[in-house]
Amino acid sequence: MDGQIPRCDHTTGCITCGDEADAMRVLEVDAESSLARCVDAAGRTGEVEIALVEPVAVGERLLVHAGTAIGRDAESTEAAA
Amino acid sequence: MRFVEEFRDAELGRVLAGEILAAVDPDRHYKLMEVCGGHTHAIYKYGIDELLPENVELVHGPGCPVCVIPMGRVDDGIAVARNEEVIFTCFGDMMRVPGSEQSLIEAKAEGADIRMVYSPLDALRLAKANPDREVVFFAIGFETTAPSTALTLKRARAEGVENFSCICNHVTIVPPLRALLDSPDLRLDGFIGPGHVSTVVGARPFEFIPADYGKPVVISGFEPLDVLQSVLMILRQLGEGRSEVENQYTRVVPYEGNLRALQVMAEVFELRPHFEWRGLGFISQSALKLSEAYADLDAERRFQTPGVRVADPKACQCGEVLKGVIKPWECKVFGTACTPEHAIGTCMVSPEGACAAYYNYGRFAREREVA
Repeated sequence: MDGQIPRCDHTTGCITCGDEADAMRVLEVDAESSLARCVDAAGRTGEVEIALVEPVAVGERLLVHAGTAIGRDAESTEAAA
Repeated sequence: MRFVEEFRDAELGRVLAGEILAAVDPDRHYKLMEVCGGHTHAIYKYGIDELLPENVELVHGPGCPVCVIPMGRVDDGIAVARNEEVIFTCFGDMMRVPGSEQSLIEAKAEGADIRMVYSPLDALRLAKANPDREVVFFAIGFETTAPSTALTLKRARAEGVENFSCICNHVTIVPPLRALLDSPDLRLDGFIGPGHVSTVVGARPFEFIPADYGKPVVISGFEPLDVLQSVLMILRQLGEGRSEVENQYTRVVPYEGNLRALQVMAEVFELRPHFEWRGLGFISQSALKLSEAYADLDAERRFQTPGVRVADPKACQCGEVLKGVIKPWECKVFGTACTPEHAIGTCMVSPEGACAAYYNYGRFAREREVA
């Protein structure tokens, strides 16, 4: 029965349910709707809510949890500036 | 990859392990709690516990939001999911958490329309794509996840999506920590503070731990060197007779947190007078519900829920594990009746759970400790 849903990956932990967030790099920003297309270390892309960290720039690394950026990597922000 | 590989450097890890060894008093036993399930996972994934001196013991805290969900709340979710017009959405781990009679995945097998989502925003998209159905999001998580739910509810309101609602099970980290510190059966020397909760709430909410209880707190990142450095920082505080909140994870955590996230949460949520935590019992003001301004998006008001408190299975010792009183392998059903495939207790369901972390990284072959 478990096969009916994707199992969370025990090697990487669960980024949606746990307290852990995932670093993602910004590829494209839609400032009007507060959304950005981002990519994670494994190359997976997704649409991320950025209202809590705006303004963001392409190339910045955001800390994304449950589809929402809750913080940013200060060092990557300095590097992107 | 930059910002990750530097924090997994084996040579630096050995240097830190040496510094830790030099910092400990060999005649003292240290008991440090990692509050967050993400840290528990990192500790076992990278074998950090094996690098520490024998007299430095890591105990696992209540920081896995799946593990602390009581069975009654799962039953409430299933009751809502059984409504024909409902598309019920939740995170993946939640689907396997046992309720009193069945889990959400078992209810799905019986025909309830229950779908896994990766974010509340996915659930809102589902609502917009299915205007003739009621889409309910089963929200769980600490302050890391709560802003995401809050923003989605605000978005639903702004976009006029009326067929979307939420069962709010969000919990807050400080009240259970205070409950643990007040617990007579637990003696802790310091805390590895939750890195990503702190991204939202900042370091200030943890100041009561050194102020009221005289214990050090070090907010930590999740890479192996982060955790090792945090352990060293706690040991140095103890060695120097200091107790304060220190921030090891400065590259991500601002001391004041994310003020916008706190503002959004304050607008959308209010504190529940009390909330039941699995194994910890009822804790005052430890969870969030939708504020009056968002009451129309509260699924608990839209649908009937049993709201019945259900006692944990007798064999399950999740409560003791969550309080760090026993190690997972000391539980009578660990690795035998209770496995990730057939979990009795919630700590075995989520990979962030202490029991699942022990099980998946082979920490089940140790001899049981005799009390």
